[in-house]
Amino acid sequence: MQALNAFLIPILDLQLLGLVAIGTFAGIYVGAIPGLSVTMAVSILISFTFKWDIYPALSLMIGIFMGGVYGGSRTAILLNIPGAPAAIATALDGYPMAKRGEAGEAIGIVTVMSFFGGFMGIIALAVAAPLVSEFALKFQPRDYMLLAVIGILLVGSLSGDSLVKGVFAGALGVLIGTVGLDPLTMADRLTFQLPELRGGISFIAVMIGMFGISEALMQLHDVNKAAVKQKISRIVPSWGTVLKYLPLSLQSGSIGVIVGALPGRGGDIAALMAYDHAKRTTKNPEVPFGEGAREGLVAPETANNAAVGGAFIPMLTLGIPGDAVTAIMIGALFIHGLNPGPMLMIEKPDMFWFIVGALTMANCFMLLFGLTGIKVFVKIVEMPRSVLIPLIFLLSIVGAYAVNGSLSDVYWMLAFGVLGYFMKLYGYQLGPVILGVILSRLLDDNWRRAIISDQESLWLLLKGTVTSPLSAVLLLSVLAILLSKTKLWRRWRGQAA
Amino acid sequence: MKLTWLAAILTLGALESPAAAQYPNKEIQGIIQWGAGGSTDVVTRAVTPHAEAVLGGKVVMQNVTGGVGAIGLNRVADAPADGYTLLFGAENPLLYKVMGLGTKDYSDFVPINVIARGIPIIVARPDAPFNTFPEMLAHIKANPRSVKFGTTGPGGLPSVITAMINNKAPMQVIAVPYDGDGPALTGLMGGAIDVMPAVLGAAIENIKGGRMKAIAIFDTKVNEALPSVKPVTETNPEFGSFLPWGPFFGIFAKKGTPDDIVAKLTAAYAAGVRHPDFVKLMDARGFTIMNIAGKEAEGFLSKWQSNTAWLLQDAGATKASPATFNIPRP
Repeated sequence: MQALNAFLIPILDLQLLGLVAIGTFAGIYVGAIPGLSVTMAVSILISFTFKWDIYPALSLMIGIFMGGVYGGSRTAILLNIPGAPAAIATALDGYPMAKRGEAGEAIGIVTVMSFFGGFMGIIALAVAAPLVSEFALKFQPRDYMLLAVIGILLVGSLSGDSLVKGVFAGALGVLIGTVGLDPLTMADRLTFQLPELRGGISFIAVMIGMFGISEALMQLHDVNKAAVKQKISRIVPSWGTVLKYLPLSLQSGSIGVIVGALPGRGGDIAALMAYDHAKRTTKNPEVPFGEGAREGLVAPETANNAAVGGAFIPMLTLGIPGDAVTAIMIGALFIHGLNPGPMLMIEKPDMFWFIVGALTMANCFMLLFGLTGIKVFVKIVEMPRSVLIPLIFLLSIVGAYAVNGSLSDVYWMLAFGVLGYFMKLYGYQLGPVILGVILSRLLDDNWRRAIISDQESLWLLLKGTVTSPLSAVLLLSVLAILLSKTKLWRRWRGQAA
Repeated sequence: MKLTWLAAILTLGALESPAAAQYPNKEIQGIIQWGAGGSTDVVTRAVTPHAEAVLGGKVVMQNVTGGVGAIGLNRVADAPADGYTLLFGAENPLLYKVMGLGTKDYSDFVPINVIARGIPIIVARPDAPFNTFPEMLAHIKANPRSVKFGTTGPGGLPSVITAMINNKAPMQVIAVPYDGDGPALTGLMGGAIDVMPAVLGAAIENIKGGRMKAIAIFDTKVNEALPSVKPVTETNPEFGSFLPWGPFFGIFAKKGTPDDIVAKLTAAYAAGVRHPDFVKLMDARGFTIMNIAGKEAEGFLSKWQSNTAWLLQDAGATKASPATFNIPRP
């Protein structure tokens, strides 16, 4: 009863409801602008809401979080610039759809699926939070390493025609990710004694350059070609469409919840893993992946919004941040006199149910705001190239600067844009580069943690892997993915069918 | 108290100077060395609004992370010394030189306020086969190279505490590196490591929740936030020579900032740190408020630096000897 009361607070209190709505609306735009991140917005809000009560402050932050994760897909679809790392996978099939005049449909699918994923995360949080957090705690360094290996194998899905070129691009990404002071030993890696390189190369700058600038440069090839007229007949997907993708979205949502609940892992990895899952399990997509497959939108967008609820699971049950945004929210709770930790749920169950309630409302507002104004947004793609290309440049430069307020990030962004352009010209896919950068640290840090923990003995590490059920399952998935690519397996499948 | 009066008098005297009379006439940039959500971030963001009220200006806080905080420190060091760019940092810069991480430290800055000091605590996973500090040492001795200690890299709190223990009771443990005490404590809860030296504030809620157990407080006296946990000097008085020691948070302006502006900032932050809301917040997390500035703070910083740098030097954990940088041996 008390739980229900707390759940209803953000729904029945008009002021709180309004703040959730404002937060969600603002979040969609913060998320859509590359370089402006939800993390940044929420940390600014900590100072801004300092004198407020905790409920209004949290309402605004939760709205921004939910809206922001969704908003990243907007620019990914319309301009090929993912507004946030969690929307990278969305760009892979969303942008090709926009180029064919189906931007409205793409945004419609993404909005509905984000809403669906958001609810999966909220339900998991409300029903199974203690269970999921205990499971997430079980992940040992070797399990994170195996997770990163599964992620790296995604290169196979993202390479396009040439696997060799894909592997090369992925390795380049991993290399970029290692630049800077090694976070574990503080040793310089690939910094050439330059102080500017010690902090590493901003991943967001690489992402904006590789996606945004390289695409703008590509468009310069046919600058006078008229823009594609956007079809705006079908925006909200029909029930039939939603039902058709239901199994995929349920699976993607589960991936999102689990990866979101892993401490420190957020929607970006969840979305990429879900995309890969979709590509692996969809037998005959209507449109091939990478050219505008609907499945390629459904999976990552369900997963990244499911990861929002997932990220709150360790935060509210254990005081451990599920991702960067919940890390700041823990700080906010602390500043407002609460003590986030394992006792929070026992001492202040109201806080838990209040957050569930606010997330629910934020998710509904996201659907509402997401589906309105699409017709105006798709006009962006119809703009003449002479307007659109400078706009992409402007957005990319502002975005890269905003990440750290550093001009060198802008130079990195432009340099990677030019590099990305030439890579595209020579048939290299850019997805694997970004994948490599994202997974570089996860792989490297946890490999070292795992091998150091096992007394630097490969034998002990292997023994530990096969005797732990969780590690064994992860290892089997790695092997299964590898095996499914071999000729032997395909021949066997061919005979079976 | 005396200090505040001094600051107040200085402020009054400074009103005649035109630069200070107008200060602040635009937004002040606050550069936080560490990431959003970390303790430096939370503590400095919590105190700043109280100081803003006294200062009558706005401090815009921004996290500039990377290079163990060196990127943020250099950002402030490269800005003009006009009081419009402030550094919100922790103890790490005092070890940059000996760790080979940079050529600047807090001697290039004026301390506006050393806010508070954290108390180190040794925590273990709940099912670890020891409950007290002597039991832990005995267990490690009986099982060399098997107990896993979490660490946050050279110069971090765990490395200093481990160096202290090694100095008095050499031990063979596996040091598993993490990028921060948050992830390491998470690893401890999941059983990835057995022991973690951490700051009390980061571990206290998990101790109360039974997710980890406290082995010893690395201080000379019992802490009010965790009255049942023994200080290490009670069982092992030999550690008294290193203590009290702890990480700290502080606010710094570039050296060369006009004295009257420094005085204004000092007075504002001294009042901010004294604010009852902030004091309550720090108490709950087991931080010891220091609220010192000027010569007193400089004295604290140089003593901290010489103690810690030489301790690490003696443990063989430094890249360059403190003597190279004229850091006196304590």
